[in-house]
Amino acid sequence: MKAPATQHGAAEEMDMPRITVNGRATEVDADPATPLIYVLRNDLALNGPKLGCGRAQCGACTVLVDGHAARSCQVKLGDVAGAQQITTLEGLGTPEAPHALQAAFIAEQAAQCGYCTSGMIMQAAALLAERRSGLTEAQVAEALEHNLCRCGTQPRVVRAVMRASRQQGA
Amino acid sequence: MGMQTPTRRGFVAGLAAGAAGLAIGFRLDASAQQAAPVGPPMLRANPKLDSWVRLTPDGRIVVLTGRVELGQGVLTAMRQIAAEELDVAPARLELISGDTAETANEGVTAGSQSIKFGGEALAVACADARATLVNVAAETWGVERAALNVSDGVIEGIGGRRMTYAEAAARVSLVRPANLAAQRKPPHAGTIIGTSLPRTDIPAKVFGQQVFIHDMRPEGMLFGAIARPPSYAARLVALDMAWAEALPGVVKVVRDGSFIGVIARREEQANDAARRITAAAQWRDGAALFGGKGAFEYLTTEPALTRTIHSKAAPASTPARTHVAEYRRGFQAHASIGASCSLAKFEDGKLTVWSHTQGPFPLRGDLARGLRMEPEAIRVIHAQGSGCYGHNGADDVALDAALLARAMPGRTIRVHWTHEEEMVWEPWGSAMVVKLEAAMGADGGIASWGHDVWSFPHSTRPGDRVGCNLRSAWYLENPVAPSPIVDGALPNGASARNAVPIYDFPGQRVTTHFHTAMPVRTSALRTLGGYFNAVAAEMFIDECASLAGVDPVAYRIRHLADQRLVAVLRKAVEISGWQPKPVVMGRGNAQGARLVGTGVGMTKYKNSDSHVAVVARVSVDPATGVVRLEKMWAATEAGRAINPDGITNQIEGGMVQAASWTLLEEGRWDRGRMVSEDYTAYPIIDFERIPPIESVLIDRPDLPSLGVGEGSQGPTGAAIANAILDATGRRVAEIPFTPERVLAALRA
Repeated sequence: MKAPATQHGAAEEMDMPRITVNGRATEVDADPATPLIYVLRNDLALNGPKLGCGRAQCGACTVLVDGHAARSCQVKLGDVAGAQQITTLEGLGTPEAPHALQAAFIAEQAAQCGYCTSGMIMQAAALLAERRSGLTEAQVAEALEHNLCRCGTQPRVVRAVMRASRQQGA
Repeated sequence: MGMQTPTRRGFVAGLAAGAAGLAIGFRLDASAQQAAPVGPPMLRANPKLDSWVRLTPDGRIVVLTGRVELGQGVLTAMRQIAAEELDVAPARLELISGDTAETANEGVTAGSQSIKFGGEALAVACADARATLVNVAAETWGVERAALNVSDGVIEGIGGRRMTYAEAAARVSLVRPANLAAQRKPPHAGTIIGTSLPRTDIPAKVFGQQVFIHDMRPEGMLFGAIARPPSYAARLVALDMAWAEALPGVVKVVRDGSFIGVIARREEQANDAARRITAAAQWRDGAALFGGKGAFEYLTTEPALTRTIHSKAAPASTPARTHVAEYRRGFQAHASIGASCSLAKFEDGKLTVWSHTQGPFPLRGDLARGLRMEPEAIRVIHAQGSGCYGHNGADDVALDAALLARAMPGRTIRVHWTHEEEMVWEPWGSAMVVKLEAAMGADGGIASWGHDVWSFPHSTRPGDRVGCNLRSAWYLENPVAPSPIVDGALPNGASARNAVPIYDFPGQRVTTHFHTAMPVRTSALRTLGGYFNAVAAEMFIDECASLAGVDPVAYRIRHLADQRLVAVLRKAVEISGWQPKPVVMGRGNAQGARLVGTGVGMTKYKNSDSHVAVVARVSVDPATGVVRLEKMWAATEAGRAINPDGITNQIEGGMVQAASWTLLEEGRWDRGRMVSEDYTAYPIIDFERIPPIESVLIDRPDLPSLGVGEGSQGPTGAAIANAILDATGRRVAEIPFTPERVLAALRA
């Protein structure tokens, strides 16, 4: 096997990009032009964000950047190096302390294969953060319009987001 | 069907051929199991008890199934079935699925057959294990077996006597052939089957735990990608290997004929290198797809294998009138959200492949032939992928990973196709043409019915005894040709699936015009030909009802002998508030500025499985031709429900997917390949287009469980089509019903 090729010799002389994911700062040994999804999944071993279309059309890779939903297949590592707070599904809640959306997706059994689930939850989390109460089903559908599910679980996803919204408002 | 396995082809083919009749022999109640031959066919084919259930002296209870989780919830249902027969809490069971070194060979997880065949086999194996362990206690205590009770894996006798399964298992061998005549618990005694046990895989999916094959990261893993030819027919002429191996991050470039794979340190580097290699390499192109014809013209004018596969002569009579119509559907894709992925490791002459294939054993056979290895040197282990909805790139990518892994022994290589690679290179669902003709009597009833279908193949899966159906094998220096292509035989059928009428027409004929040449490679898309045959037939019967001047529901009931179908139709009509009236061709139903209509569609999937009726209400904008779904209702009956919420999830999901196929989806190609390579070029349904759905399940615990995963697609497409007919008074003959086509029909 050959020695690993150096992609950008100059990068080695500079500091490695430093990003903050789920509250933890970490240095990443990758080109700043690398799409964030590869860094999250392959360098940081996070399972939540999923690589879907790679063209910002499906929403499977959605994460929060400073609380706003972002397609991590389009965000470059260098764009979020520094002070921005990146949140993935893993940072939203845990089995012991689930986020309202995670609990609601289980309660409504709002998945089939579950590949789109992380993106759905992250997009909905941004919506719930903006809208603390009085959410309608039409608003949920509008907010999730660019998150695709091929299994056809959208009606359940809407019910789950509404359930989480009611819980949040309560 | 292509679902055969190398070792048991005859068995599975017979199973496919006999499915409708076998359903009768698969009664879950004890009395019906006396019928010969004894025992579930899947258990007869895999009789080792320990390939279904293992109870170990240390207290573990391991349940094994050759079926695999595709997102349909089958492992939750299998857990329920096993827990029911073993009298153990479902959470205590460990499950192993789809591993060629461990589980039974159940062919492919497809065709809505897992519960009906795989579930029945697992149930009898578990019933055998339970009876054996209870017998140990009975003999130890010198009491009758019937006097003993089992509570969560503890055998209880009179006077507070207790023996755990672990203690009993230490005194008897469960490594032996299964007792095929073991008696299942009678349905009325069940407490777990029939309940909506929550899916066991959903929590891990909402917390981002490692579930998917894409999440596997073994130590030292490297990333692979394939540099695809610019068209299906293109072959490699020249590539500067030294340049390619010097691309950023590249560790190795593997070239074998026109197959070029890249191994790199990082995933994006592998993908980038593959893209640049495709662009830089010199290729020799082949002939234009379809000889430059349109797909429908190609289907109906190029030589095909024409066979009448079903016929029933009607009593001679002179029809009062005849009606003829033709319907078309373009190519449609699986369009999974996550592209296909596989990991492979080659070490000491042995290959291990992790795959989200629907059939670990069939895949192993094709891998062996594609790699020219012995099947015994290959282990295929299932890991979950993104939903596949049939034969997508899941199997192909396994050979890609294996070819790269073989070139770098000792390292695990992971290949995750790009989405555009999946859309261009996966097998598509076939374009189809259906022509229907009916002879109607003076009373308006249908006296005879003819169904002609023109189609490309619906199953070119791995699993035959010869050839290799994994795409990259065809591009090697010494290519391995694909297996011979056959159309699936009735009663399940492939191109003719659901072409045999569900109605009791006196005269019937079904004729297939089957193409084995595939300018665009096609294979199983959920329901095979079933969706489109059902849609066309149900559209046509509405047109006949209209000609007879009869309400579509009343017209159907008049022709139905199958009371289970009548029951779901009546239920769908009841919950939707159906207003009986004849559809008048040429007259739309205006309501304000829009045209509104309601339609119904129904099937008995494969003429042997779930009974589903769907009602859809649509509105059509006459200025633009845009169809909006307003609401959909469904009624389902699939015998004994294992997990009612699981069934509802499948039925509703199928309705959403079928709505997408029916209104939006159509693949396009250029001279050399499909070009619908992303969700902009090939849109699928989004949240805003999905209407409220109301779904009702009719449980029949007295009847065998039937396959349900593909039950709602045909009825949904048909209900939408018939709602458009009701709204516009016009027939739109080509799926998808795009605004352009609806507008053209309105202006015709």
